[in-house]
Amino acid sequence: MPYTLTDEQELTRSSVREFAEAEVKPLAAEIDKTHRPPLETIPKLGEMGLMGMLIPEEYGGSAMDTVSYNIAIEELSRCCATTGVLVEAHSSLCTWPIVHFGTEEQKQKYLPALASGEAAGGFGLTEPGAGSDAGATKTTAVRDGDEFVLNGQKVFITNGGFAKTFVVMARSTDAPGVKGVSAFIVERDTPGFTIGEPEDKLGIRGSSTTPLFFSDCRIPAANLLGQEGQGFKIAMMTLDGGRTGIAAQAVGIAQGAFEAAKEYAKQRVQFGHPIAELQAIQWMIADMAVDIEAGRLLVYQAADLEDRGQPHGHASAMAKLFCGEMATRVAGKAIQVHGGLGYTTSYPVERAYRDAKITEIYEGTSEIQRLVIARTELR
Amino acid sequence: MKIVVTYQWALDPQEASVAADGKVDFSRAKAVVSDYDAVAIEVARGLATAAGATLVGVSVGGAAAAQAVATKAALSRGLDEALVVADADNAGTLNTAAVIAAAVQSLGDVALVVTGDASLDSGSKMLAATLGGTLGWATITDALGVAFDGSTLTAERVLPEGVQKVALAAPAVVAVASDAAKAKAPGMKDILAAGKKPVTVKSTADLGVALASEGTVTATAKLSGPARQQIAIDTKDPAAAAAQLVSALRAAGVLD
Repeated sequence: MPYTLTDEQELTRSSVREFAEAEVKPLAAEIDKTHRPPLETIPKLGEMGLMGMLIPEEYGGSAMDTVSYNIAIEELSRCCATTGVLVEAHSSLCTWPIVHFGTEEQKQKYLPALASGEAAGGFGLTEPGAGSDAGATKTTAVRDGDEFVLNGQKVFITNGGFAKTFVVMARSTDAPGVKGVSAFIVERDTPGFTIGEPEDKLGIRGSSTTPLFFSDCRIPAANLLGQEGQGFKIAMMTLDGGRTGIAAQAVGIAQGAFEAAKEYAKQRVQFGHPIAELQAIQWMIADMAVDIEAGRLLVYQAADLEDRGQPHGHASAMAKLFCGEMATRVAGKAIQVHGGLGYTTSYPVERAYRDAKITEIYEGTSEIQRLVIARTELR
Repeated sequence: MKIVVTYQWALDPQEASVAADGKVDFSRAKAVVSDYDAVAIEVARGLATAAGATLVGVSVGGAAAAQAVATKAALSRGLDEALVVADADNAGTLNTAAVIAAAVQSLGDVALVVTGDASLDSGSKMLAATLGGTLGWATITDALGVAFDGSTLTAERVLPEGVQKVALAAPAVVAVASDAAKAKAPGMKDILAAGKKPVTVKSTADLGVALASEGTVTATAKLSGPARQQIAIDTKDPAAAAAQLVSALRAAGVLD
């Protein structure tokens, strides 16, 4: 397993870091405070090629390898977890399934706008009664001539407030459980499709998380993504990659908090010395460093397996599980290093702590990741 | 027509740390295209596009400057091609100017040489003037608002007495001010395209340049700045903050 990054991967890191420091970090605290998605950043992300990372060049994408993609998500999240998940959900959950399961017509119709950032993407799987249990999907898609008629509701949809293109899972056949679920591309302005009010969340507060409502929403039959009944498989394969992306987001959140903690520890003087000279602080710094590096390597491993066309669901579940819990752990220690000030909004570590928590939950909870891992291990 | 922009592949000072004894520690710093030169490339890219010229990056340094990651980093910022002289590490300003001049002459059809404001290591700000002298070309430094129509370079310089507008006939050398442009981070497509652009690596001998001795540093006196007082002033109330600052300066004997 090669853990030496290529030149392009190294340059992706330095370039995205340069971009994120200049364009993403200055907004991070404000969008968190005002619960506002950073819409002005999306065209800049598009110009940088960061909205089309998983899209082939012929459709306007930058066609990056998966390791580079995850490095980019990490670097965006290091400055702003909200921007990280905006790009991650757009790329992993919307563009990826269209690239891999879309028809040529679907790719030509949707991918160029998604790659440029003219359109952001969303992914509708979760429902009030179907979170981790995707087989319990109740949203229906009934064939009527050249159309499907969608009825139902999705919840907790990232980018819901502004995305123009959604990949939505709905039950289109009478087949029981997961076999009856199909995937569809739904455009935002379709009559019968409405977006609900955004959730008021603990963290990633700038991220627009909304319900989606379908009421006799008619979409062309040509918007079926993949084959009928293939929806669950598409969703699970999509989430395999998505989970690595969330793990990368978690690494970025942890890295940002870690750097803040190191800087503070060197500056904060107590008992006549910077607290960085105290062993109690040094041990926390050392533990944080090891935690982050271990998580980063799990992300690289899962991404590298995907790049080589190998099964990566097991590795991505491991990365997601470890990195999600690691980010919360590291951000907690970063607050501890800051003492009372770390508990205030004057320093970015309290935001990192709130942002980190969701990485243990969305795109499969830690408990689901343990289930996935244990099933493979006990096979 | 070609426009040359010079760039340095150097350790990033933003990743360096300063020890208590004042020594600068670069051991954890990575090499980057110098921030000054990233600005120069940004300006030069605009000039080359406007004039329909080919933009050639020229770098003089050690073996590290010829590594693929170094040339790709520079090329991803907008160069069309790169020429690297990789056996002249820390050669000094005179030697570096001589090597760049020879490189420019070897390229032929060069209308402009654009440089950054300063180098990251010696920071002498002498390279552009020395290069202009070596080539015998008109030279301007601290340039802002640079434009080039293919034959005449125009620029502005902010001087104590006002803004000076300058026009130079090509061929010319221009050192752009560090705020002449905002260097954009390379996009993902730029990074992937960089590996496909042509790179030429030459030695000083290939260019017919023999490096001269520029003297050696025999001692460096330690700069002793005043010890920091670590006084924090809350700026929420500007009037109170100003009063606190004045009293702190009085206490330190800076003000009477």
